[in-house]
Amino acid sequence: MNLQQVLKNKFGFETFRPGQEEVIRDVLRKQSQIAILPTGSGKSLCFQLPAYLIEGTVVIISPLVALMEDQVAILKQQGEKRVAALNSFHTYQERERMIQQLHHYKFIFISPEMLAVPKVAEKIRSIRLAFIVVDEAHCISQWGFDFRPDYLRISEFLRTLYEPTILALTATADRQVIQDIRDYLNLTNPVLHKHSLDRPNLSYAIYEMTSEEEKTAWLLKRLTETSGPGIIYVASRKRADELAVLLKDKVRGVASYHAGIEQEDRAFVQDQFLNGELEWICATNAFGMGIHKDDVRQVIHEHIPATIANYVQEVGRAGRDGKTSVTTLIYTKDDIQKTRFIMQEDLPSDEAIRYFASSLKANNSIQEAALLSGVSETGKRILQYYLERFSVADTIQHIQTQRREKEGKLQQMIDLVQSDTCIRERILSLFGEEITGNPSICCSTCHEVPIESIRFTKDTQEKREWEDWFTRLTQLLG
Amino acid sequence: MNMNFSTVLCLLFSRLNGEKTVNASYHLLRGKRSGQTIQDAKYYHVQNYFGVLPKLSKSLFNQAVEHLQEQNYIVIDENSRVFVTEEGETLIESTRPFDFDGWHYRGREEIFFARLSLTIQTLSHFRVSKKQFLPIQRDPEVQRFVKMALRNAPIEDPSFAIQIKEELVHLFEESRMEEIQKMIITYRFVGHGQTGWTWQQLGEKLNLLSIDVKLHYIESLHKMLKVIEKSEKTIFLSKIAANIKVETVLTDSTKRTKGLFDQGYSLEEIANRRQLKISTIEDHIVEMALNDSDFPIERFVAKQAYREVRKKSEILQTKRLRLLKEQFPALTYFQLRLILSLPAKEEEVNESPTSIKK
Repeated sequence: MNLQQVLKNKFGFETFRPGQEEVIRDVLRKQSQIAILPTGSGKSLCFQLPAYLIEGTVVIISPLVALMEDQVAILKQQGEKRVAALNSFHTYQERERMIQQLHHYKFIFISPEMLAVPKVAEKIRSIRLAFIVVDEAHCISQWGFDFRPDYLRISEFLRTLYEPTILALTATADRQVIQDIRDYLNLTNPVLHKHSLDRPNLSYAIYEMTSEEEKTAWLLKRLTETSGPGIIYVASRKRADELAVLLKDKVRGVASYHAGIEQEDRAFVQDQFLNGELEWICATNAFGMGIHKDDVRQVIHEHIPATIANYVQEVGRAGRDGKTSVTTLIYTKDDIQKTRFIMQEDLPSDEAIRYFASSLKANNSIQEAALLSGVSETGKRILQYYLERFSVADTIQHIQTQRREKEGKLQQMIDLVQSDTCIRERILSLFGEEITGNPSICCSTCHEVPIESIRFTKDTQEKREWEDWFTRLTQLLG
Repeated sequence: MNMNFSTVLCLLFSRLNGEKTVNASYHLLRGKRSGQTIQDAKYYHVQNYFGVLPKLSKSLFNQAVEHLQEQNYIVIDENSRVFVTEEGETLIESTRPFDFDGWHYRGREEIFFARLSLTIQTLSHFRVSKKQFLPIQRDPEVQRFVKMALRNAPIEDPSFAIQIKEELVHLFEESRMEEIQKMIITYRFVGHGQTGWTWQQLGEKLNLLSIDVKLHYIESLHKMLKVIEKSEKTIFLSKIAANIKVETVLTDSTKRTKGLFDQGYSLEEIANRRQLKISTIEDHIVEMALNDSDFPIERFVAKQAYREVRKKSEILQTKRLRLLKEQFPALTYFQLRLILSLPAKEEEVNESPTSIKK
């Protein structure tokens, strides 16, 4: 069959992006695989296209409700109506209705939590499955930067299926993570598709500064001299808001974005950014997943991400269109401690674990136990998973191991920012790759990073119009 | 003067008459569903502000309180009670009256807006033959509602979009929304090629705090809903407003108590059957009385005592139970609460011998 033809008719693309075709061919051969494709390389197409060539339903296990809803909306936008998302977002009745109709769907997106519900799992087993996708598969690994204990339940489900074809998708995975994906998904002999993580069109600059004031001054200067569209990643919600106010009169449209902003406003900000009405976004790490903007020219970190994987994911949002883009990280020595603190916050202390366990024993709800022992939302999820399976002592062991691992990850990141060898090379080697032919523009340890490509040239007007309400209504409704 | 959060707060403090701490107003604005807050709402005639800002943060609230203190609009005494100063009263008088109806909408006006916004987004796309877009409202309940409401409508016909626009314009006029409020509402809509404006962005443009923009928005929605209820011209918008107004205002637990009470069970029996404390059942009874001018108060208090307490409360200008208890040591706190609970209408009826009740 002609894949090119399907690509054109169904999706309107002329050619595949690098990596896609190989993955799709293996899906069609019913070959289980782990595919590591960089952010923005069109991962979704890898399961959407073969879905139309194989009979049965595709089940996509996805970690984030928001991401799931996003993918459902996009599929529907493409005209595919046979899509369902099973997650905690829906009411009981809605879920019941979907479960009854399950065999009518071509695509079923499901959260690992829902997969653990026996009734749901049974129903899925009873329908004809084309293949199974584990999206953001790195979440299954404790070494991964956003480990989700619920992901471990997937293996319990997969074991009940007869020789399923599994496609594990992720953007970033080092050797340890790949091993975990293989183990937990019971993949005995998977094909590993790995597309180079190297992004030759990105330059990497990292600068140490002596104070917060110096960082802010640098940002102000940079944003007046250069253009976006760009994302500035900061450490806290408060800082995101603060910075947006500070930059308001300096750039052509800026807004903050973080989980503390209500959903509708977040959607407005995303749309304005996509639409070119905002030049800059000041964001926490909540910004990015599911945002498809190809012409981001700059990503700036004004803090230290907790892991290199995080960093790579975030800078990877620049230059998806392949054009030259600039990424910059600025930090002070104090930022190392700050990141360490935020990172460890989610891992409860030994005493907190004991307290949590004993208040569960005393018949408190999980919510109450978390509250009483001062455990965070993420911490609660982790403890819940472990305490269901292990003793308190073993749980403490596990958490201690994780703490050490997280510290190790942070240390790699600290080494990277303080390194005097090539940044690109360091990142690649961490993911088991070697550098192939130095791009002409590399990183701040190789040479001074040029900013000519992003130099501010002409003053564009703020695009957002402010008309009277009647004109606005007419623009909307005619 | 324009409406703003500080003034709304000052007005609440004034109504609460120096008898409550700042927290009472906080709970009221957030619409806390506790007996105490519901009782405050009714006693002090501030139901309209109940649940107007369900997500109000404590820090924002505290900031506004501090601001009022600094400006010398309010004074807080050593018992944490709030008094409004003369300057404060002047501030309230210089501001136009507010037109909230929190008691009947309780945050559900946001559902109305979500449905309306999704309808407009849909029509805005369909009228230019764009049938695919990312819905701005993610709530599946809202999506399904709008889908149903638009099912048999000619949504691809541009004149239908214009009809909706005309209904909106009519609504804007009839509801006497301020110009600024019409701006806020229309800029929260999105459509084909038109992005929405965040609270922050609207605030900057209109020179208001985000919270004040939000208050304008809520008040506008209440005004609009009130007009839709009566209007015969807003045919489609009436559909969108279905089931938004809260008709039965009792909490669920109180409803169950009421069921037993209406069958003639005593408080003790109800408490036993429901496995609840008697004081909880008393809270329920008070909540029932607050919402029912025909409440059979004689099952608990003699008519004579009822009239005397109401009168005393009037003379002393207080609703504080402790002060009234000193005057009527023979009555229990529960009885006193009940007496103060009955809606004011009852009082007028009692006092005017010519009116005939039922």
